[in-house]
Amino acid sequence: MLQSIVAIIIILFFLSKVIVKRRNNDISRNEFLLWLIFWLTAGFAVIFLKRIDSLVSSLGFSGSGIDILLYLGIAVVFYFIFRMRLRLEKIEQNITKLVREISLLNKNKK
Amino acid sequence: MNHTKRKKIICVIPAFNEEKNISRTINDVKKYVDQVVVVDDGSSDNTFKKAEAEQVTVIKHCLNRGQGAALQTGNEYALDQGALVIIHFDADGQFTAREIKDLIKPILEGKAEAVIGSRFLGKKSGMPWIKEWIIMPIGRLVNKILLNVTLTDPQGGFRALSRKAVSMIDIENDGAAHCSEILYKLTKQDISVLEVPITVKYDSFGQAIMGGKGRGTGGMRIVVDLIIAKLIR
Repeated sequence: MLQSIVAIIIILFFLSKVIVKRRNNDISRNEFLLWLIFWLTAGFAVIFLKRIDSLVSSLGFSGSGIDILLYLGIAVVFYFIFRMRLRLEKIEQNITKLVREISLLNKNKK
Repeated sequence: MNHTKRKKIICVIPAFNEEKNISRTINDVKKYVDQVVVVDDGSSDNTFKKAEAEQVTVIKHCLNRGQGAALQTGNEYALDQGALVIIHFDADGQFTAREIKDLIKPILEGKAEAVIGSRFLGKKSGMPWIKEWIIMPIGRLVNKILLNVTLTDPQGGFRALSRKAVSMIDIENDGAAHCSEILYKLTKQDISVLEVPITVKYDSFGQAIMGGKGRGTGGMRIVVDLIIAKLIR
């Protein structure tokens, strides 16, 4: 019970952070929705952990609900890393375009 | 350069920290082309000064962006200068400048729009055996699976491209994976490609599996870049 309360407090803390960031226009609408869904799902998962436990066992898995949440969490983290890697690649490509533009402009000025 | 006065042949040499080799490479190449364009890819040594001292065109990247990025910069400049044939030539002196004639010939004769130098078509290159028999076959397999490129030397950097071919391809891969990207784009756009044998001098191993000189080099990095490029596009 105590662990669930701690988990809920942590989730509420991150949820409030996401809302504040959106209010200050620090994150886009899509990003806000993504994180909102993510933390709300995490919150529901903690609240209905026992139901998840029975769901998991009815599906034939031997682990408990929290184990499955952990596995799902790792999968989600990997997905975010992958998305970040792609975004980074786009940024790198844009830097290259800028460097090229500057170098050609400098050459033509001479 | 004497075989044609009407054709403007420009050699693009991407260079990153090549102060030891750049002067020799420029002087080797000069005889066979109308103009040499060195793209100094953010070198921290005297590559830029040494290249400028040779009275050739030198473009400087303020940051190291990789060989593919430098070649694209060179391509854009060469097209702007009215190049009809563009040669890509490494700055480290591994390639043989007199073979530029062999690469240009099929383009001038209208037999191909792109001519790729291959280290695996008969000429002796002195390639380290592990590279020749293990790494390169794996590289060919990766190129076949990911890009459907079936040439004998998909990672070779010595090539000649017609103006039409260069206009039709945009090198987006900044690192060494640009070699595969160029071949992929040429094939995809039905540009006629020909392979000719070349000689490559190996003073060192060259690119290693995990890394090399400058941004985006190393066998593993090339594979990762090819996969990412597939996912982005």
